[in-house]
Amino acid sequence: MSQTVVSRQSSVGSQVSERKTITVAVAGNPNSGKSTLINAIVGTRLHVGNWPGVTVEKKEAMLEYEGRKIKFVDLPGAYSLSPYTQEEIIARDYLVHEKPDVIIDIVDATNLERNLYLTVQMMELGIPIVIALNIYDEAEKKGYKIDTKAMEEALGVRVIPTVSTKKKGLDDLLKAIIEVADAIPSHLPNQLNYGQDIEDASSALQMQIKNAYPALAEKYPLRWLSFKLMEGDDHVYKEINIAGNGLPVRDVINHLKKAHGDDIESIMADARYAQATGLTHEVLKKPEFRKIDLTEKIDRVVLNRFLGIPIFLAAMWVVFKLVFDVSTPFIDWVDEMMAGPFPRWAEAILGVIHAPAWTVSLATDGVIAGVGFVLVFVPIIFAMMFAVTFLEGSGYMARAAFVMDRAMHAMGLHGKSFIPMLLGFGCNVPSIYATRTLENPKDKVLTALIVPLMSCGARLPVYVLFIGAFFAARAGTVIWSLYVLGIAMAVVMGVIFKRTLFKGEAPMFIMELPPYRMPSFRSLMIHTWEKGRHFLIKAGTYILAVSILIWFLLNLPWGVEHKKDSFLGQAGQVVAPVFEPLGFGNWEAASALITGVIAKEIVVGTMGEIYIPGALEEEEGETPTLGEDLKEIGTSFIGAFKGAVVNVFSSVGVVSLAAGEDEPGPMRTAMQKAFTPLSAFAFMVFTLLYMPCVIVMIALRHEFVTWRWSVIAFLYLMILAWVVTFVVYQGGRLLGFE
Amino acid sequence: MNLSMLKPGEKGRITKIGAIGPLKRRLMDMGVLVGEEIKVEKIAPLGDPIEVTIKNYNLSFRKKEAEGISVEVAK
Repeated sequence: MSQTVVSRQSSVGSQVSERKTITVAVAGNPNSGKSTLINAIVGTRLHVGNWPGVTVEKKEAMLEYEGRKIKFVDLPGAYSLSPYTQEEIIARDYLVHEKPDVIIDIVDATNLERNLYLTVQMMELGIPIVIALNIYDEAEKKGYKIDTKAMEEALGVRVIPTVSTKKKGLDDLLKAIIEVADAIPSHLPNQLNYGQDIEDASSALQMQIKNAYPALAEKYPLRWLSFKLMEGDDHVYKEINIAGNGLPVRDVINHLKKAHGDDIESIMADARYAQATGLTHEVLKKPEFRKIDLTEKIDRVVLNRFLGIPIFLAAMWVVFKLVFDVSTPFIDWVDEMMAGPFPRWAEAILGVIHAPAWTVSLATDGVIAGVGFVLVFVPIIFAMMFAVTFLEGSGYMARAAFVMDRAMHAMGLHGKSFIPMLLGFGCNVPSIYATRTLENPKDKVLTALIVPLMSCGARLPVYVLFIGAFFAARAGTVIWSLYVLGIAMAVVMGVIFKRTLFKGEAPMFIMELPPYRMPSFRSLMIHTWEKGRHFLIKAGTYILAVSILIWFLLNLPWGVEHKKDSFLGQAGQVVAPVFEPLGFGNWEAASALITGVIAKEIVVGTMGEIYIPGALEEEEGETPTLGEDLKEIGTSFIGAFKGAVVNVFSSVGVVSLAAGEDEPGPMRTAMQKAFTPLSAFAFMVFTLLYMPCVIVMIALRHEFVTWRWSVIAFLYLMILAWVVTFVVYQGGRLLGFE
Repeated sequence: MNLSMLKPGEKGRITKIGAIGPLKRRLMDMGVLVGEEIKVEKIAPLGDPIEVTIKNYNLSFRKKEAEGISVEVAK
């Protein structure tokens, strides 16, 4: 066979343009090393998008190999082609309707039988298949001997051993793909025999379809269609839009049931598994005695009855610390750049061209500040995606879900919901992205809706400001009560949503506990990079727009002197009465809350500007030169790196409460005039609960394709915030607090 | 006798799968089939879900699902 490759290669050159692109669908079980293999083949050329109408990622890439163009389409990981998870439906619809030239079926060599169950199903489709027998090194290490020649013969497909983490076997795989794609006649897989009864039934159905519905016979792989009709697959029935009346489906089913005494789905699953099992016995030789493997040893400790939960909590602490401590120095670095050098340069440039003063303000307070808001999130999103991808790739995520499922299930959530919620205490934005580790779309949405109730780091400055002015003696208790309130509301809303929006959803927790594996660094980096880049492009645009909008609101109408007369101040005055029953019905508080939509910590800045205008302006020192600025940016970036490393190894608390710097005295006095302790507490409660910041809303839109969930989150949080704050303030008054 | 009654370390042979609808199909897709040997490995620290070995890999599901899987204890 290799000879044909060689002869083709030599004749290829001039024909490249005429040769058609080979479309390759990459399919396989979850945890079979699929994404690592794709990354190993195409690297960063992957184009990430969404499958139409759903939140599942669609990855595609073009590759030129030996003069041939190959288009890879990465199908979502699936255990089967049943229509029960979104991933499976996507994978199967693509294979049936788009008819790729070749399927690469990634089979985990250490878990042959269950992986071959998917292979057997794909063989029904009549599309050439090349099996990448992946994780081959681990199988060898376990002492498995797999007869790939026998496998090729039994299945009628090429079988190429690969080790995606070490980039082994990839050339052979690509060569096999080209060979199979060019084969004339088509290199189709064998037709496996599912037993006399099933085969007879299928043949009868196929004949009938061909006669009665020739159009269907053109469109669908007939053998596959006959099985789906027998299995009573709703999805297929709906799609082909025939009641099946004209087909003898019922007779066929009754006959099979009579012979086997079971439902057809079981009969089919049995028949397919029988093939997978039979083949496995035929080609796989395992050592007589099984050694206790590493996964078992680790799980004895990690899933231990007594140690399981403490270990889980410790692991989460480490993740939390890594994510936020590593990113903090970089965030500070971005902050510094946005506060110092960049506005200075903009000012200098605009000064040179004699631009009017308002453009300077727009450029610095609107545009650069807006860009700053976006950039500040980049380090945290990178750190967080890295951590989550690692947890998932290593196999620990499944264990975390296993350990926590009982507690989360009580709230109507899934074991895997815990991690996004925990990370929410640092920042809600990456938490929304972290919900993608949940397989079921409903679990994903429910978790994402609840995440904003986790009191994030951006709310802390608001608490610190108010606590400094009103509750200095009981700071710890007050902060603690706010965090607990957020969690309590999450539990309440979880139960409410489960009974309303997601009523009647079948609970689904059937999860593989894959062997522990070290994820490849390259794969981790590619995932992290994809997410970070996506965030920058998509979220960046919106946030910039909102930031500029807020600038205009603060500075229009032209030449406005007092903030009260700006559009924002006017809006604050209009909205203020709504907050009257909550204890802070003044335009200052209302305006601050409006600006808090960008990020909740902005509430502090706006209050500063309103209560003590001009006081927060930076004192003008000697303006550094461009050179000094650049040097400073460079050295402080290195400083940020050092800081990140130091933070990782320092044993300081989880999040440093560094925000506790003293607010200027006049600010405190002004606030004490405007608020009472009770209304100050009410204001903090409202800040905790009211609408998530714009970035969270955009993340929701980004992750769930429609604006629907952003709108729902916005509405429910607004209502919840108002109601809870009302209860707190009015209840507090009844109890005699002031 | 159903699967939820087995203790960690105990093995059984599946005689019937009672769960109806998508869950049953899902379990079958994962290799939980009549006649198959299944071993309970662990119970989660909070009592639910359970971890089993089937077809040479590890799977976990909730006790409610385990109750729907009839087994006979394997010797």
